[in-house]
Amino acid sequence: MIQNHFQVCAGIRFVLLHVICQDFDRTVKLSDQRIAWILQSSRGRSSMSPPAQPQKSPSPSQPSGKGEVSDLKLQLRQLAGSRAPGTDDAKRELFKKVISYMTVGIDVSSLFSEMVMCSATSDTVLKKMCYLYVGNYAKGNPDLALLTINFLQKDCRDEDPMIRGLALRSLCSLRVANLVEYLVGPMGSGLKDNNGYVRTVATIGVLKLYHISSTTCIDADFPSMLKDLMLNDPDAQVVANCLSALQEIWSLEASTSEEASREREALLSKPVIYYLLNRIKDFSEWAQCLVLDLVVKYIPSDSNEIFDIMNLLEDRLQHANGAVVLATIKVFLHLTLSMTDVHQQVYERIKAPLLTLVSSGSQELSYAVLCHLHLLVMRAPILFSSDYKHFYCQYNEPFYVKKLKLEMLTAVANESNTYEIVTELCEYAANVDVPIARESIRAVGKIALQQYDVNAIVDRLLQFLEMDKDHVTAETLVLVKDLLRKYPQWSHDCIAVVGNISSKNVQEPKAKAALIWMLGEYSQDISDAPYILESLVENWEDEHSAEVRLHLLTAVLKCFLRRPPETQKALGAALAAGLADSHQDVHDRALFYYRLLQYNVNVTERVVDPPKQAVSVFADTQSSEIKDRIFDEFNSLSVVYQKPSYMFTDKEHRGPFEFSEELGSLSVGVESAHNVIPAQRVDANDNDLLLSTSEKEENKGPSSNGSSYNAPVYDGSISLTVSQTQTETPYSSPALPTQASQSTLAIDDLLGLGLPAAPSPVPPPLKLNVRAALDPNTFQRKWGQLPVSLTQECSINPQGIAALTTPQVLIRHMQGHSIHCIASGGQAPNFKFFFFAQKAEEPAGFFLVECVINTSSSKAQIKVKADDQSTSQVFSDLFQSALSKFGKL
Amino acid sequence: MPVAASAIYFLNLRGDVLINRLYRDDVGGNMVDAFRMHIMQTKELGTCPVRQIGGCSFFYMRISNVYIVIVVSSNANVACAFKFVVEAVALFKSYFGGAFDEDAIRNNFVLIYELLDEIMDFGYPQNLAPEILKLYITQEGVRSPFSSKPADKPVPNATLQVTGAVGWRREGLVYKKNEVFLDIVESVNLLMSSKGSVLRCDVTGKVLMKCFLSGMPDLKLGLNDKIGLEKESQLKSRPMKSGKTIELDDVTFHHCVNLTRFNSEKTVSFVPPDGEFELMKYRITEGVNLPFRVLPTIKELGRTRMEVNVKVKSVFGAKMFALGVVIKVPVPKQTAKTSFQVTSGRAKYNASIDCLVWKIRKFPGQTEPTMSAEVELISTMTEKRSWTRPPIQMEFQVPMFTASGLRVRFLKVWEKSGYNTVEWVRYITKAGSYEIRC
Repeated sequence: MIQNHFQVCAGIRFVLLHVICQDFDRTVKLSDQRIAWILQSSRGRSSMSPPAQPQKSPSPSQPSGKGEVSDLKLQLRQLAGSRAPGTDDAKRELFKKVISYMTVGIDVSSLFSEMVMCSATSDTVLKKMCYLYVGNYAKGNPDLALLTINFLQKDCRDEDPMIRGLALRSLCSLRVANLVEYLVGPMGSGLKDNNGYVRTVATIGVLKLYHISSTTCIDADFPSMLKDLMLNDPDAQVVANCLSALQEIWSLEASTSEEASREREALLSKPVIYYLLNRIKDFSEWAQCLVLDLVVKYIPSDSNEIFDIMNLLEDRLQHANGAVVLATIKVFLHLTLSMTDVHQQVYERIKAPLLTLVSSGSQELSYAVLCHLHLLVMRAPILFSSDYKHFYCQYNEPFYVKKLKLEMLTAVANESNTYEIVTELCEYAANVDVPIARESIRAVGKIALQQYDVNAIVDRLLQFLEMDKDHVTAETLVLVKDLLRKYPQWSHDCIAVVGNISSKNVQEPKAKAALIWMLGEYSQDISDAPYILESLVENWEDEHSAEVRLHLLTAVLKCFLRRPPETQKALGAALAAGLADSHQDVHDRALFYYRLLQYNVNVTERVVDPPKQAVSVFADTQSSEIKDRIFDEFNSLSVVYQKPSYMFTDKEHRGPFEFSEELGSLSVGVESAHNVIPAQRVDANDNDLLLSTSEKEENKGPSSNGSSYNAPVYDGSISLTVSQTQTETPYSSPALPTQASQSTLAIDDLLGLGLPAAPSPVPPPLKLNVRAALDPNTFQRKWGQLPVSLTQECSINPQGIAALTTPQVLIRHMQGHSIHCIASGGQAPNFKFFFFAQKAEEPAGFFLVECVINTSSSKAQIKVKADDQSTSQVFSDLFQSALSKFGKL
Repeated sequence: MPVAASAIYFLNLRGDVLINRLYRDDVGGNMVDAFRMHIMQTKELGTCPVRQIGGCSFFYMRISNVYIVIVVSSNANVACAFKFVVEAVALFKSYFGGAFDEDAIRNNFVLIYELLDEIMDFGYPQNLAPEILKLYITQEGVRSPFSSKPADKPVPNATLQVTGAVGWRREGLVYKKNEVFLDIVESVNLLMSSKGSVLRCDVTGKVLMKCFLSGMPDLKLGLNDKIGLEKESQLKSRPMKSGKTIELDDVTFHHCVNLTRFNSEKTVSFVPPDGEFELMKYRITEGVNLPFRVLPTIKELGRTRMEVNVKVKSVFGAKMFALGVVIKVPVPKQTAKTSFQVTSGRAKYNASIDCLVWKIRKFPGQTEPTMSAEVELISTMTEKRSWTRPPIQMEFQVPMFTASGLRVRFLKVWEKSGYNTVEWVRYITKAGSYEIRC
């Protein structure tokens, strides 16, 4: 079975290349045995252990469900006409089987007409299963869907309200654009139905219709009907559904229609809000969340109104549903923003419910609440300073919970509770779980940087160094270094301990850099500093991190300026090694120091080792503006991700290349936030030291940090490629992805002008193999292995955009230019393609291209990978010229 | 919008799709592959229940051997989404009769599709009240043969009523014998330092109720909480009775409880749903009675031997007893041999969790059994670091004991037909995370 499973996976993995849009119901290849197993389970056997012997050779190309499906087809046909008793039961079994196939991904759409024929029945159970089936396949088979319209419309007039509702829901779920005309009638009567259930279905149906065809929906005047229902319907669920439908419709329409935006504003008018608030107890808990979310946006006229609303909603804080409680909290917080005193009282009031929510319920839910608590604690740590014990970690809690708790502990530390908190944190530092131990040490360090009385904390930190665990030592060294930058007066105590650490035990680049910095900075206090540095210089070749080598250069020079005779030898060796270093920065710095020293030693001292000012405040990584944005979006994903929603929902901010990353190593989630937020650093005239206390920076992980220092691998003959690859890896500033691509464009322009003057020989014209072939697996492997040799953005002419209705059109066009498509997907406005091409003469010379086209901005992002890097620019030009001809006849 | 879920998937541990329900077209059909590839097949699994892949966010939860994944493309309300899953699972459980696992899902997939259609429409949560859903669901749950509960009788053609003052209760219920069962379940969390001082301690409790009552009864529950009692004595202008009162830090109630009345009169009054439900939840941090004290002494004798002595004192009444007491004492990984002496229960070394596990099935109050163990370690050359000790953990259940001291003073049932009811009350205290550092 395991083997078998991999077969399936291999089938699926490539599906991923079709990154955006592939119907889930496309055939997934399954072996016979698997289906046998599914069948067995669908018959309801409780013993469902999969067959024991492993499958030998499931042929991957054979859609093995076929035999079964045609079998089903036959059986369904037989039953369709039959009126014998017991037919319904037999049908039920068959229908169940069909749906079980559908669920596991076997394509049973070929049964469509048989299913529809069989569904002429009064049996509700059968009907429901049929509706489910139809809803699933109608979109892919619009012609067949027409068959169902008739019986669905009939069912919409059934006397049983349940059937009416179900039929209407299925009708709206067909999602076939050319059938919407049949929808309007039943929907209209559904909205006026005397049964609440039918109306709830109809209200959401309007929203579905809007998403299929917005004009039909607006023209039929459904929104105003919804508005009417919302204000008058006795059924609370109908009201709630009207509200969600209207909110969605008006906000989507608002960009184009004045009236819509007025209507959207009207939802926030006093009468509507009061009407909803007064009925709040009638609503289901989910609908209450919806209403509360609307109330947040309402702006009360005066403070009396604010208090009225809060009094009305106060009891919601006692609701068992955590989502309602959070929504209420959001209302309270936002209503009182302008009233500082009351706002503080609100914090006091919501503290207990929040803490309860965190400690009860499922782990996931409490995580969600904890994230919100975290946000509030970070906003007003003082108010939570007496509750610090709630943030103590339990041994078995998962890392993501502990991390939040550690941050909160750090934030609430003040003079009165620091001792307890630091004691607790020290317990975690001895934790077997290395990431937690690291986080705890960082937390201690942060508290030390916050507090004025750091005496005890420094002792604790120094004790960590004596624990003799490499990760603890490493983490502590970084902190001690930061601490010394803020409190130089502690240098004496710290240096005594730091001096005893053998540099051999410190391997992590950050820690090593910190240690070296201290050796240089306090070389007059550490008696054997020159000799430690000397031995480090001797091992120059073994030092892989450029950061450490940079620090080493600076430290040796500082040491030299203070203790020249002892360090002279080491300095000479370091400068020689630095000058020979392959890393550009290290080389440049060595050269710079060398020339400085040649010029004047005093100037050197002024440059390299000026008197230091203590750092007073370390920069916060998140700007307050962003924090406010997140606070505005309380009770949503923004709080969990700790970034405002535009950063993860807007296509622009997500960056154009996110999907291609999926092929290689993916970095998503919280980390990517740090690439977006430009970190402000207080460098304290110590620019040679790229340090920062923010753990956010360190979190970026070796992938982004490492690449920014490593020289890109390139073929030296083509300078163009080089510069473009470098823009791909932003050097020091975590710039916005869009900016990066813009700068690429700028460089293109510049280089485009300068190209004729470039010394590189004019590359020979490139010929592509017309019948190039590459199988998907090879493509994917190559895509994973090859580095990106080119990234470019180009615009597409308007005719091209107009012609690009489906991906297939472009694929055919590119084929004419010997560029073949291997996978494509997407819907307007975003399309994505993976192309490949092969050099005519060389069988190994493949080019792989990822092309993302945004039709609304008329831009295409191109990423080229090539077996032969030197020709990728030529290929890219060819590709772009082919692309530019698209749409022109 | 609170949640506009684009899709819900149920996956088994291998990543096979058990159930998929696409509500909206704004996410691709291959989302499940993305989940498999980036969450299930990587170390990311278990790091965080909310992940972003591409433009979509994935909320996932593992329940027994099933993953439930919600995919959204907008900035959704996380708490609402998770709560929805929790509630939905509870609903499914009530249909399957207890278990929620891969087998149950495979046996009931048509029912699940039906339910998913009713409880969420176009990504918006609809009605999750089991009572009302019964009216729309045609499939009967396939119950596992092991579940002892009898199948609910199908609802006889009840009139459709989605709304009304009590959406959670049907009218016209009749029981021969009117009974109410109240369970007070508390879990006590403790974190004790190695010096024996309590670092953190709290109790989270639930009042679970099972009602078999005819008609539309009005219930009123009285507890010995401080505020409620004060209010009562104020109203009746009588001095407060002596006796222990407790202070609840925070309470939340089932939506059947009239919260306005709770806020004004401090009484818990409600029309209960039929069957089983969670009436209220509370949290207490002050005045917690810890049922057990653990006094460990661990001595490391050289590099290859350890001596572990643990004394556990039960501090509840002598007539009461705790059940299923388990004490886990962590030992280093390189443990080779152990020998035990216990005055009660049984102890053994469990290598898979690196713990000495001491089990006492029945633990009377006011006793203090001890365990002394000798642990021999394999001497390792590389192990230069001293061993950091994880805390001792404890599990137990103490029936008829509440760590908070909460008591039910009265439960009044009022119905217009005026029948008599039988009320049953049980108390139980369980260990939440009961950790003692050593």
